[in-house]
Amino acid sequence: MPRRQETGGARAWLRSAVRFVLVGLLVYVGLYVASEALVARHAQRNRFFMVNTAPSSDYDYVILGASHAATFDYRDMNARLEAMTGSSILNLSIEGAGITVNRFVLDYFLGNHRTGTVVYVVDSFSFYSREWNDARLQDTALYQRAPFDPALGWQLLRRPATFSVALDYLSGFSKINNSGRFAPDLFDAETSRFDRSYRPVPQIDRQRIAYLYPPGIDESRLRDNPYLAELEALIRDLQARAIRVLIIRPPIPRRMYDMIPGEPEFDATLEALVARHGVTYHDFASVNNEEALFFDSDHLNQDGVLQFFENHLRKVLIDGRGE
Amino acid sequence: MLFNSFSFLGCFAALAVLYYAVPHRFRWPLLLATSLIFYATFSAAYLVLLLVITLVTYRAGLALGATADPRRTRVLLATSVAAVLGALVVFKYYDFLAGTLEGGLATVGAGGSGPLFPRLGLVVAAGLSFYTFSCVSYLVDVSAGRLPPERHLGHFALYVAFFPKLLAGPIERARPFLTQLLQPVSFSADGVTQGLQLMLWGLFKKVVLADRLAIFVDTAYGQAAFSSPADLVLATYFFAFQLYCDFSGYSDMAIGAAKVLGIDLMENFRRPYFSTSVPEFWTRRWHLSLAGWFRDYLYVPLGGSRRSRLRLYANVLAVFLVSGLWHGASWTFVVWGGLNGLYQVCSLATRGMRERVCAAVRLPGGLGGLLRGLLTFHLILVTWIFFRAASLADATTIVSRVTASLATLPRLLQVRIANPEILFSIGLIAVLLCVEAFDERRSVWERLADRPVYLRWGVYYAVLGSLIVLGTWNLQQFVYMGF
Repeated sequence: MPRRQETGGARAWLRSAVRFVLVGLLVYVGLYVASEALVARHAQRNRFFMVNTAPSSDYDYVILGASHAATFDYRDMNARLEAMTGSSILNLSIEGAGITVNRFVLDYFLGNHRTGTVVYVVDSFSFYSREWNDARLQDTALYQRAPFDPALGWQLLRRPATFSVALDYLSGFSKINNSGRFAPDLFDAETSRFDRSYRPVPQIDRQRIAYLYPPGIDESRLRDNPYLAELEALIRDLQARAIRVLIIRPPIPRRMYDMIPGEPEFDATLEALVARHGVTYHDFASVNNEEALFFDSDHLNQDGVLQFFENHLRKVLIDGRGE
Repeated sequence: MLFNSFSFLGCFAALAVLYYAVPHRFRWPLLLATSLIFYATFSAAYLVLLLVITLVTYRAGLALGATADPRRTRVLLATSVAAVLGALVVFKYYDFLAGTLEGGLATVGAGGSGPLFPRLGLVVAAGLSFYTFSCVSYLVDVSAGRLPPERHLGHFALYVAFFPKLLAGPIERARPFLTQLLQPVSFSADGVTQGLQLMLWGLFKKVVLADRLAIFVDTAYGQAAFSSPADLVLATYFFAFQLYCDFSGYSDMAIGAAKVLGIDLMENFRRPYFSTSVPEFWTRRWHLSLAGWFRDYLYVPLGGSRRSRLRLYANVLAVFLVSGLWHGASWTFVVWGGLNGLYQVCSLATRGMRERVCAAVRLPGGLGGLLRGLLTFHLILVTWIFFRAASLADATTIVSRVTASLATLPRLLQVRIANPEILFSIGLIAVLLCVEAFDERRSVWERLADRPVYLRWGVYYAVLGSLIVLGTWNLQQFVYMGF
């Protein structure tokens, strides 16, 4: 008899627990819908959001790269570049993103859009470490402002490395949990430092290099480098789809360039790679690189970006359209 | 696999279902295997150390139980306790002691140019301080005849390694735990509900409060020389609540998880910041399992309060200094323990005088209690500076920078508190204190049990919702796991 009572008690508790979970799921769906509404309202720079809400399905140029390319999209820089070149441009570069992340975003873009040319803004740091590639792709913060899209969920699910991120994205957990949900979706530097000029501090420069190259810089990593191989694969795939590829090395202060060991070797490797595939390559590392044109150790400030557009990139993009 | 991770919560749910699905005789092996796997997720290499210490204690317990000769008992006890604590000393204190000794020798001009003692550079095994203390309490209890030696190796191993308490306590005594293992557990809806409530509240304290406050505290204390005095003051207040929420959150989750499995663990915290004296804080409210351990296995054997007044003060100081060292091999913890010991001695020495003053100055209502509570809280707050600072130099920098800016501090704090994130954190602390104020008279969960289901569930959903919406899920380790 007590055993039967015990079983009955457990069953009643379980029934109650199931009801609790079901109601909880409804509450969760409510939170999910609310967080989607917040994404729709506040998202701006998130690249998945930009692709998802892009006004056009066809762009002359798509820009890929890391934070050095992201400055081309700060404030109204992209609109100015479009006006200068008479081209439609979508900047999909992401801070701290290597080729793996860039490729992922581009694949998402190409799912429903087209472009004539991909401009890849290359930084050497992103080829040395998984930190900026596989690990960055697994950073849930990348998807916190990405609107719900089954296609993106499926793209994440297909890769074993991003399976847990896919669950996070599809469940909307990081989106609901986003502590910056009401804040404008802008880059930190875009709002606070883009107008400034940087006064070099050697210690900060060294810290910056240590941050960008976590495992240390070792030129031997350029041999059989998986990320350079990924860049090559991207070039081949784009060429097969009749999409042109332009590779650009962005301006960098001479001081910083000299502090990074192995930069000439990286340049030589990159030049050989693009030559193998007949890709146009523009090395702007040593132009437009006066100290006053940077807001920190290595990012162009507003004057720097505009001057770079005016003197260099404008011509490249106008010529690129004519090819 | 941290308590504040989804993988733990998922695995625990699966374990609970399996636990109640299998017959009683299979439950201890299930719990033991789970505990060892759980431990291996932190440090597979140190699993061996855990097993060796368990075996040594088990065998020593059997030997102690088999002898009636007091001299042999003393030798056996001393050897086995030395073996268990030896592991703790080697893994946790060796490098610190070697450095201190070298420093001392260098001061008297006896040091060489290089290091005299080789450094081991060992990482402290997770939970070592906790499970070694459990083992020592078992050995002492068996040798004193208060507890028969446990003959079942599996049960004993589970006592040492039971996963909810393994990494950061409570430092459970053997008798109540082992007795419970013998009794068949049947599913209790009330027990499981209470366990889940505790886990939920513990998780809330850790993820919503402690880890949110930790971001501010880490930044301010991480650059003590550059942070503004207002930030240092705020960070110290925040740290008091971060530490409490972190550790009591862990304890709540541990006790709750055990309760879901039908096992009662001892209480570890009783709303410590409502203490009205430092002795009350340490003996009746904060880290009760450790306080009880030091009382029974150090303070009483030293003579406790049975000897002279002076000896009593020396005993109290000794207990607090050892307690400080137990927390970590660093001078900051020694100073922290010493300060608390000093408070206790002052409290004991001035008790009569304070009682006379209180009797003479009769304050209305609860004002006296409130003032005593605030004074106690601030005395403890000063000690947390030493507990949190990375070094003694940092701690003195913080104290000197704050005291030097006392005149301008109110204005600076006013400006700083206007920051929405800080204001929100203060609001969350206020919520915590309100809940605890209710708990002082009767537990909020007990109060809720009498209420209609929509109210109960509403509270559960509110806590769960705040976990999801406000929680900091960055898998930050629990502070006491580092000890």
